[in-house]
Amino acid sequence: MNLDWLTQYVVTVVILIITTVGLALLLHLQMGLAGIANFGIVGFYGVGMYAFGILLVHVPWPDGWGMVVPILLSMVFATMVAGLAGLLVGWLIADLDPDGILLGTLGFAAIVYGLSQTNRQWTGGAEGMGTTSFPYKIGTQKADTLLWLGITAVVVGLILYYVIRVHKSPYGRLLIAAGQNEALARSLGKPTFRTKMVMFATGSAVMGLLGAMYGVMLHYIRPVELGIGVTLAAMVGLVVGGQTKAWGAVVGVVLVGVLFELVFMVWLPFPSEWRRQSLPVVREMLYGATLILVLMTRPLGILGRMRRDKTVRRPANG
Amino acid sequence: MPEEGAVTAGPDLSPEASTPPDSGAGPNDWRSLIAKPTFRWSALAVILIALVATWSLARKAVVIGVTSDAPLVLAAIGFALLYRLTGLINVAYAETVTMGAYLGMWVNTTFGLNFYVTLIPAALLTGLFSVLTYFAIFRPANQRKVGVVEMIIISFGLSVFLRYGIQFVFGFEFRYYDVANPGSIRVLGVGVGLFRLTALASALAISLALIWFIRKSRLGVQIRALAGDEKLAQASGINPLAVTVLIWFLAGMAGGAAGAFYGVNTSTRAWLGWDQFLFILLVVLIGGSRGIGGVFFAGLATGVVLSFLELMPKLNTTPVYAQVIVIALFMVILKVRGNRLLEAGKV
Repeated sequence: MNLDWLTQYVVTVVILIITTVGLALLLHLQMGLAGIANFGIVGFYGVGMYAFGILLVHVPWPDGWGMVVPILLSMVFATMVAGLAGLLVGWLIADLDPDGILLGTLGFAAIVYGLSQTNRQWTGGAEGMGTTSFPYKIGTQKADTLLWLGITAVVVGLILYYVIRVHKSPYGRLLIAAGQNEALARSLGKPTFRTKMVMFATGSAVMGLLGAMYGVMLHYIRPVELGIGVTLAAMVGLVVGGQTKAWGAVVGVVLVGVLFELVFMVWLPFPSEWRRQSLPVVREMLYGATLILVLMTRPLGILGRMRRDKTVRRPANG
Repeated sequence: MPEEGAVTAGPDLSPEASTPPDSGAGPNDWRSLIAKPTFRWSALAVILIALVATWSLARKAVVIGVTSDAPLVLAAIGFALLYRLTGLINVAYAETVTMGAYLGMWVNTTFGLNFYVTLIPAALLTGLFSVLTYFAIFRPANQRKVGVVEMIIISFGLSVFLRYGIQFVFGFEFRYYDVANPGSIRVLGVGVGLFRLTALASALAISLALIWFIRKSRLGVQIRALAGDEKLAQASGINPLAVTVLIWFLAGMAGGAAGAFYGVNTSTRAWLGWDQFLFILLVVLIGGSRGIGGVFFAGLATGVVLSFLELMPKLNTTPVYAQVIVIALFMVILKVRGNRLLEAGKV
C-alpha cells in the first residue's frame, strides 16, 4: 500500500486530532452531562504537559531505568497534578452559575499560561524546554511517530469506552440529573456538589495525561502550545458532533479536524506564502464561525438528542 | 444541550428550600462567618493599617494602579451594563474593546485628528458595531431560545471569529496612534501621563453619568423595567427593541472609549481586548453586585493591587506573577461570595 501521502506532518496532525477527540470526550462529560462548560481545558492539558516535562527533565533518574520507566512515572505524576488542580478548580466552581464557571475555568487557564512563561529555571520561560524523544526506536522518524499515534489512539479509545460506560451507569444518570436540574437532584438527597467536583477532577486528570502524551510527541514544549486553540478545537468538535452524545465528540472532532486541519490547511492547493500567516488565521475564524452557526441552527449537533431510552431503566410494567 | 424533560418532573425547588443531611452542597458555615459585618469591618481596618504602614509604597501603587487601569474601569462598566441589564455574558465584548482601539487609530491616523476629538467618533462607531453584533448574532439567538451556556459559547465563537478577523484585516504588527507626547504631571510625587489621567476622569464622568441615567432618567427607568420583567415592561408601553438597542449602544461606546485609551497608552493589536477580558469579567462579577459604583471601585482596586504586588521590593513580583495572584484572589472571593444574579436590572 502506498503511504506517501501520509507525511510526517500529516501524522502529527492526526495525533493532534486524536488528542482533541480525547479532550472533547472529557468535555462531553463535564459540559454535555454535568453542565459545566469548561473554557479552561487547555489549562489542565498544560498542567499535565509541563508537570510531565519538569519531572522528567529535572529529576536525576538512575541510568539503569532506561527511558520508559521515567516517562511512565512522569506521566503518572502529570495526571495526578492535573487531577489535584481539577479538584481545586472543581471545588471553586461546582456550585457557581455559568458565568462563574466561565471565570473560574478561563482564570485557571490564564494562571497556567502565566506560570509557563515564568519560572525560567523550571519551565524554560517563553522559549520553552526540551523534554524527550519517543521512548523507543523502531525505524524512521515517521514510523516512530506512527507508533505513538497508535498508543495515543488506544488511550483515547479507553476514554471513549469509559464515557460510554458512564452513560449507561447510575453515576451517569446522576451526572445528567445534576446538570439538568441540580436543585431537584439535591432535594432527592443526591450529593450533586461532590459528584460534579469529583467528575471534574477526574476529567481534568485525564486531560493532563493527554497533555503529557502530546508533550512526548512535541519533544519540546513551549507556552505557545497552551493557546486558546486547544479549548476551541475540542469545544467546536463536541458542539458539531453533539454535546450530549459520547460519539458526538468523536464524530465532530474528526469531521472538523479533517476539514480544517488537513483539507483546508494541507491538501487544498493554496499559494505557499498564505500558509505561514493567512491560513492559520482564517482557520481560527472558521472555527469561531462554525461554533456560532451550529449552535444557532442545530444546537444538538449532528447526532442530535440524547437517547434517554438507553440510559434510563424501563419501568417493570412497561 | 441537555435533553428536554429528562429529569424535570416535579417542582423546581431552590437549593435553599431543600437541605437534606447529605446534600453534597459545599460548606456554607465559613461563608456566613465571612459575610458578617464584623469580619468585613475588621478586614477593612487591616487593609487601612497596611496602607498606612507601607505608605511610601502604597502611595505609588495607588497612583499608578488607579491611573493605569482606568480604561479597565470603562470597559467593565460597559460589560456590566450588558450583563446586569440583559443577563448576557458576552465574551465577544473583548473584541468591542479591540474594535474601539482600531477605530480610534484609524480615525486618528487617517484624518489627523487630536486624540480627544478621536475619542468621540471611536466611541460612536464602536457603539454601532456593538449594535450590529446584537442584530447579527445575539438577537437571532435569543429568538431561537438558545440557553444560557450556549449563549456564552456563541459569544466565545464570535469573539474568536472577530479577533482573528481583525488580525486578518489589520495584520499582525502592532499599530500606534499618531499623537504627540502629552506630557505628565506629578500626583503624590509620582509622574502620570495626561492620557492616563484623562482616562480616569472619563471613567469617573461616565460612571456618574450612567448612574444618573439609569436611576433618574425616563429611559433609564425603562431599561430597568425591561431588565426586571420584559412582558410587564412591554405591557406598560415600553419598546423592548429600542431599549435593548440603547443598552448595546451604550455598552459599545464605553468599550470603544476604553479601547481607544488602551490603544493610545500602549499599542493597538488584535489581542488587546482579549488580554483584558478576564479582568473585565473578574471586576464585573465581583463588583457588579454593588452596581456601577461597585464596578468602578473593583476596577480601581484591581489596578492598585496589581501595582502593589509589582512594586513590593521583597517579592520581586513580575507583572505576570502579579496577574496570577490577583486572578487566584478573585476566584477565591467569587467562591466565598457566590455569583448568583439576585436582582436583575439593579445597576
